[in-house]
Amino acid sequence: MTAVVAPRRERTASQRYRHSLWLLTKRDLQVRYTTSALGYVWSILDPLLMSAIYYFIFVIVFNRGTHAEDPYIVFLMTALLPWTWFNGSMNDMAKAFIRDAKLIRSTSIPRSIWIMRITLSKGIEFLLSLPVLVIFVVITQFTSTPAHIHWQAVYSILAIALEAVLIIGLGLIIAPIVVFFRDLERAIKLVLRLLFYLTPIVYGIDRFGKHNVIKLLLDFNPLTGIVTLYRSSFFSGQLDWSAVIISAAEAIVILGIGILLFRRNMRAVLKEL
Amino acid sequence: MAQPGMLSTAASTADKPVIVANDLGIQFKRNRRHRRSFKDLFAESSRRARPDEFWALRNVNFSVMPGESVGVVGRNGQGKSTLLKLVADVLIPDEGRVAVTGGVAPLIEITGGFVDDLSVRENVFLTAGLHGMSVQEIESRFDEIIDFADIGDFLDTPYKHLSSGMRVRIAFAVISRLEEPILLVDEVLAVGDRQFKEKCYKRIDELLASGRTMFFVSHSEADLLRFCKRGIYLDKGKVILDGPIQEVVDRYNSDYK
Repeated sequence: MTAVVAPRRERTASQRYRHSLWLLTKRDLQVRYTTSALGYVWSILDPLLMSAIYYFIFVIVFNRGTHAEDPYIVFLMTALLPWTWFNGSMNDMAKAFIRDAKLIRSTSIPRSIWIMRITLSKGIEFLLSLPVLVIFVVITQFTSTPAHIHWQAVYSILAIALEAVLIIGLGLIIAPIVVFFRDLERAIKLVLRLLFYLTPIVYGIDRFGKHNVIKLLLDFNPLTGIVTLYRSSFFSGQLDWSAVIISAAEAIVILGIGILLFRRNMRAVLKEL
Repeated sequence: MAQPGMLSTAASTADKPVIVANDLGIQFKRNRRHRRSFKDLFAESSRRARPDEFWALRNVNFSVMPGESVGVVGRNGQGKSTLLKLVADVLIPDEGRVAVTGGVAPLIEITGGFVDDLSVRENVFLTAGLHGMSVQEIESRFDEIIDFADIGDFLDTPYKHLSSGMRVRIAFAVISRLEEPILLVDEVLAVGDRQFKEKCYKRIDELLASGRTMFFVSHSEADLLRFCKRGIYLDKGKVILDGPIQEVVDRYNSDYK
């Protein structure tokens, strides 16, 4: 056998970063999809069940009639699927360092990878759940209120980018802090539950009048603009550029704060693990 | 047999140290239960409240030349593993810095990167990949790694179903195949049966013969004398003695026996 030690191809830092990131993301997805027989189904079951519940409550029980939001099931899912990405990421961010403590203690990988890999693996799950939306869009074609895709669907790419920035920024803030305050993990779950209703998911952004207090809260929520951007694919009337601009500005500010806090706290986090 | 060739980095930088610790210091909290306040997260690092902290290492200076094998000696809790972790870049110093030229193969908590739910095969690719090996490199060494760990029949078994001995064997096999010029070893040789231990010893001998630099933490005098030429004696976070290993071991023995 010949020696293969020959001049080792030195890889740049960014190549190594991407390689490690990809390995860890793949690991997440592998674990997710190989440990349970229903792997893929599990990841779409949550948004599917939520859609079914809200559809039941609002359409069948309360018989709502805003035609602008028909077909309601598509209206729901265009916001629920991105929400599932956000929600799942935030829950995982809380455990980002604790779950992989052993690996972090023994391998020197750029520490931000632990944030990026959650964003990426949950993002891939989000993309993989989109076919479910497509199925529902097709189904509605056979009803009295078929869904129509608009050219605004291209904005979804911007929405994905903004949501990723927001998730990374919040992750950089949350992940290190939870190492010191473990009970924050529960607090995050509560805040997320609250945030769900403060984001135009089960209702539209135009639900509240201009000088409503809830409208103010909605405007301040960085998810509002992102969700309406996704939703404009099928409901162009939902598009609200001022909300999008607020979302974008907030996401960028949060990312900035995140980078700063993450750098500042890393030394203490490593000691604590 | 694959012969471990001389590493190009070792030859070209023979006159420059590969590890330089400069006034290295790190402090830990004595009382781990102490609650940090939210204020600490935003305050300047110099203005932070630091109740009950102690220096695990302070004013540590040394440099290691390529090809040197250095044994770190000291009682429990005197900063040996901390020093290794600083060199491995899994801890960040509070003072000074440690400069490491070239990659590091850390035999520290070696089973850390392995995932319970994935198979042995998947785990080998994952861990070796995280340590910077490309897929082609891993593929070309895969058989060697499995042979060394001697677990050919368990390739597709989930890692969690391996015995603890097998887990350490496969982990050692992977990390010790990394083509990094610097090897950090922390007490890992204490585990495994005698037969595997012999294999590990042989492997480390091979690595040293091929020009690797080694940083070695152990409580075993025999191991230290076998592998190391130079010793660093740590006590209360300070370097007490830095010299030939025999001298260092003698000094340690006279202090604590």
